[in-house]
Amino acid sequence: MKGKLQIANCKLRIVNWRGCAVVALATLLLASCRSKPIAPAVPAGPMIGGLPATATTGAPPTGQEMLPPAPVGPPLPFQAHGEWSPPAIARPWPPEEYLCDGGDKGSPVAVSPNWELYGLGLEDTVAHYDSHDGRTLVAPSNRVCIYAPRFGAVRVVNGVVENEMVAQAGGVDLPQRLQKAGRVAVPISSLQRYQARGGVGTKIASAYRGRQGRGALSSALVASGFQDAFLPFEDLSAIRNGIMDQREKARLSESTQAAIVWSKDLAVQAVLNGRVAIGLTQNERTEEVFTVKDLRNSPKLRVVKVASTQSAKPGEFVDFTLRFDNLGDQPLGNIVLVDNLTTRLEYVPQSAQSSLKAVFTVEPNEGESLVLRWEIDQAVQPGEGGIVRFRCRVR
Amino acid sequence: MLVVLATAVAATGQQPPMHYRHAGQVPPGAIGSVQLQRGGPLPGYFQPVEIRAPEGAKVSIASRGQFGVARATPLEIGLLIAPVYRFKVSNIAGHEGQEVFPTIEVIDRLYPPRGQERRFPVPIEFNADDIELALDGKFVTRVVYLEDPRMALPVAEGWQDQHWFDAGPGVNAVQEADRWGRPLAIVRMGGRVPDEERGPDVYFVGGGAPFTVFRPYIERLPHERQEEEAPGPMANAPRPRIMPGGRARR
Repeated sequence: MKGKLQIANCKLRIVNWRGCAVVALATLLLASCRSKPIAPAVPAGPMIGGLPATATTGAPPTGQEMLPPAPVGPPLPFQAHGEWSPPAIARPWPPEEYLCDGGDKGSPVAVSPNWELYGLGLEDTVAHYDSHDGRTLVAPSNRVCIYAPRFGAVRVVNGVVENEMVAQAGGVDLPQRLQKAGRVAVPISSLQRYQARGGVGTKIASAYRGRQGRGALSSALVASGFQDAFLPFEDLSAIRNGIMDQREKARLSESTQAAIVWSKDLAVQAVLNGRVAIGLTQNERTEEVFTVKDLRNSPKLRVVKVASTQSAKPGEFVDFTLRFDNLGDQPLGNIVLVDNLTTRLEYVPQSAQSSLKAVFTVEPNEGESLVLRWEIDQAVQPGEGGIVRFRCRVR
Repeated sequence: MLVVLATAVAATGQQPPMHYRHAGQVPPGAIGSVQLQRGGPLPGYFQPVEIRAPEGAKVSIASRGQFGVARATPLEIGLLIAPVYRFKVSNIAGHEGQEVFPTIEVIDRLYPPRGQERRFPVPIEFNADDIELALDGKFVTRVVYLEDPRMALPVAEGWQDQHWFDAGPGVNAVQEADRWGRPLAIVRMGGRVPDEERGPDVYFVGGGAPFTVFRPYIERLPHERQEEEAPGPMANAPRPRIMPGGRARR
């Protein structure tokens, strides 16, 4: 523009034609100077069927639109240690991946006078016994969970009703809009992989000592009724001699799910003036609360269950061991251990063992598995106990 | 107002015990994308999958617009959740020279204990019967689900066996599988083949999502189990070349 004005001045004044020619040349140079080249309307690239490679041609011939790859975010490296569970939810999770046996879920098991059991559901493992005063009591075992997923499939077959062929492109779509990169974002969930694992140290320590008290500790069992010695997974004080050892608690919690029978009643005990006191420890309070409770004439049977493995594939075998101990102060009679196997556990015939003389029977249950039943032939004195074992095949 | 409230409560109580609602026939990739939006540790996790095919058949997986090497089965690979992976099954006994091109869409993952991920892959079968149907022009949809132990069938089976059943034509297989457990993967197999004359078809072969091919898993005793060597986030991605000076160059 400035150059044009100067040209005009030159024409008006007619001073120096040579100078004006130089100015006009400079003006032309300035006017043609460095503008950004305009991008071609069609992107460069190989042409397929007359269309650019980036063009999409609408729905594929099947008539069903296939979505572009989902926004999955930057992939994380595969980690062998991928254990994860939602916050505030304790494992085992999710429950459909685990096979559990033991405990007393649902309505509590009750025993009729003729020893019929009511409320015995699948997976339940209980023992019932008669006390000195003629009562029939029920003691559930703890719950054992094994990681044993099993898979199935549903198939649907559809015939081709209509066959449509698109011989050429029906339309051209130039994808100049933004892709879904904004949604890729950051995989927040990767942070959740490193969450703190809950449940560590939440169980009160030292609450298991002394319950055997007053010198009535059980002695080691003679495995006379067993085909072999203690199995490797039974190398626990709770199984070998019925004493809960604090150092083994982590291992027990690993293979079993601690049940109320461990934490509720097996508290620290003290004897105050001939009466038994139970010390309760609570996290919320700094002082101790002593509850005086007379445990005389209080029969108690503890049942602990462990499994030989923490995970199993269909077709593999799992050994279960049940240890029962008389923690009360009186002999217990008519002890009967009942294990109602879940559908996916198949009892291996002739695998039941008992350290005490017992009558072993099986009967089918509603899950098309079996109810295992040991009727101990002898009374169990305070501080004594026994062990039963059996083997199952995972269906 | 009370009537409306009572009707709503009654309707809520009558809902079937299903995990998530999925619409009927949805395009491939749609269910997996919805699963990712639910949150949780799904994005970026390579779910180990064990692919089985009839004896002698070879399986190759599409990567970056073309099929890779044909591998024998069972083949264990790690797949991301949501992308649709395209496979090619060749060397089919009785159908030499013919190929089928199934897809796999993983829509959920397993949560095994520490160090047990490789021991429990999701088994996915390219069944001989399915292949026959696909070669015959049928479209087969097979949804693999994790069985709910409370609804388990009382059948004894080994790890290599997988019970399955036929739902009627037109039935939503995902919803049917949801009744019996938790759907994990969708296999789609039909008679469509790539048009080689037309050139590479990205819609058919797939978008080239990353995957991982595992070495055969060897059972070890617990004290022998060590951390698996991490195969890397993108086993099918080009690896940087290490120059003599020690610097990587792509």
